Amino acid sequence: MSDSEREFEEENMLVDDEEIALEIAALQSEDMLSQQKKEFINHKAALTTLVEEISQKNIEWIQRCDITSAEPLVVEKVEDDLDRELKFYQQALGAVIEGKKQILKAGVPFSRPEDYFAEMVKSDSHMAKIRQKLLDQQKSIQNAEEAKKQRELRKYGKKIQQEKIKEREDQKKAALDKIATIKKRLRSGDIGEGDDFDIDVDSEEDSRAKSGPSKKGKNGKPLPNKKRQMKNAKFGFGGKKRDLKKNTTESTDDMRGFSVKRNKSTGFSRPSKNSKAKRPGKAKRQRIN
Amino acid sequence: MATLYKTAQTEFMDVEDLIEEREKKSNIKQRVLMVASRGVTFRQRHLMNDLEALLPHSKKESKVEAKQDMELLNELAEIQSCNNVFYFEARKHQDLYLWISRAPSGPCVKFHVQNIHTMDELKMTGNCLKGSRPILSFDATFDTEPHLQLLKEIFTQSFGVPKGARKSKPFYDHVFTFSVVDGRIWFRNYQIVEKDPETGGDVHKNAKPTLIEIGPRFVLNTIRIFEGSFGGPTLYENPRYVSPNVMRAAVRSQQAAKYAVRTAKAAERDARNKANPLPTDPLKDVFE
Repeated sequence: MSDSEREFEEENMLVDDEEIALEIAALQSEDMLSQQKKEFINHKAALTTLVEEISQKNIEWIQRCDITSAEPLVVEKVEDDLDRELKFYQQALGAVIEGKKQILKAGVPFSRPEDYFAEMVKSDSHMAKIRQKLLDQQKSIQNAEEAKKQRELRKYGKKIQQEKIKEREDQKKAALDKIATIKKRLRSGDIGEGDDFDIDVDSEEDSRAKSGPSKKGKNGKPLPNKKRQMKNAKFGFGGKKRDLKKNTTESTDDMRGFSVKRNKSTGFSRPSKNSKAKRPGKAKRQRIN
Repeated sequence: MATLYKTAQTEFMDVEDLIEEREKKSNIKQRVLMVASRGVTFRQRHLMNDLEALLPHSKKESKVEAKQDMELLNELAEIQSCNNVFYFEARKHQDLYLWISRAPSGPCVKFHVQNIHTMDELKMTGNCLKGSRPILSFDATFDTEPHLQLLKEIFTQSFGVPKGARKSKPFYDHVFTFSVVDGRIWFRNYQIVEKDPETGGDVHKNAKPTLIEIGPRFVLNTIRIFEGSFGGPTLYENPRYVSPNVMRAAVRSQQAAKYAVRTAKAAERDARNKANPLPTDPLKDVFE
């Protein structure tokens, strides 16, 4: 290493040292500043004399209208908006009550008469806006409550519906039971007279019993009368009714009702002898008479 | 002759009393000059307008640029024959400082205005006559310290509407509240309602009135009290005042600290890794 290089190194070291020293000094000065700053100016004597100087103690209270609360305001937590505002409100309220007394004592009117109209601080349009906002707020609260109620109802709605269905079924069952007991009574009484009636009721009951949930109608019940039975056999009872009148392969092939003679006969059928003579028209009749 | 002398003497005796009496009865002249600096935001300007609407003895002046020469404001006050000045000084288009000064001789207070809510907000539903005199309600804390006493006196003289002021109304329907909480002064303005608030009907005379907030509301943090008007030696300095610039810087540095901590940790990790290299496995290449 040459001398010049060494010198350069040393110089570098020196510069570094200087920088470090400067930094330390800066830090210390900062410390000193904060220490200096710890003494804040507060010339209490000067302030009190100044208060005396500028105060207008000799003027009447009504000129000043200031009220100082009896108790100093204590707010535990400044961040607690509600508590803080309440304290301010209480302070103001106390001042108003005390102030009103003093104002009235000084012979000055306090409250504004009903018929005294003058320009207000807030314009009518602004007050209308405020009122509208209040109304909107109220409405939104009401809507929210309604929605909440609806939500609750929906929760219980299903349950309520099920209960209603069950109730209806119970009613139906009770009515059917009643009818059955009446019928039983009738049967045990005179059957001969009310045969038709009985049958009608029975058949009705039967059909209803089929559609209904109770199936007790089939067994233990007497069969309907013969005529009905035959009719049932002929026309069927229940089952599908649709497609009965449609042509099928069988029906098309069935030639039982076909006669060649009749098919071949030409000319129109003459009126048979025993056919009733038709009444002549009015003009004819008048001519005859 | 004797009677004449007697009457003259009694008159002479009464003169001083009379003067005193007249002083007592005569209306004090208080006029407030409202000035804003250039660069006030709309909210700050609205606050000034609200105060102007509430104080009929105020006079609004156009915006001024009085950063260097605050004496200008004293001159303005003299021109407008005002003995109180409210100077709304906006800084950086966000911070508002309020100077309340008794021109031309002082004293003068500089506040930092925080938590501004103007009358335009729809949350404050009260209303009052334009120019009716307010009742000034002070917290008892104002009597405890000399600087607070001075502030109370200044507030009474500037916020109190003098009796018989030109545009004032003869009835009382609002109250200004000044309270000291957390070392700061909180301002509220309430309407006095002597009717049933729900039905609007009359209530009996001894019932408590209800109060509805009119606004504006703001918080004043005292910075300094000067002896002169816009100048002079400092009489009081708030030890708890922290400049909003410092506050913002602290917040920023706190955010920056996160990054610094992260980079420092990364550097530390690198150094540690370098200092403790993984031992080489002697059997690593056995199967190759």
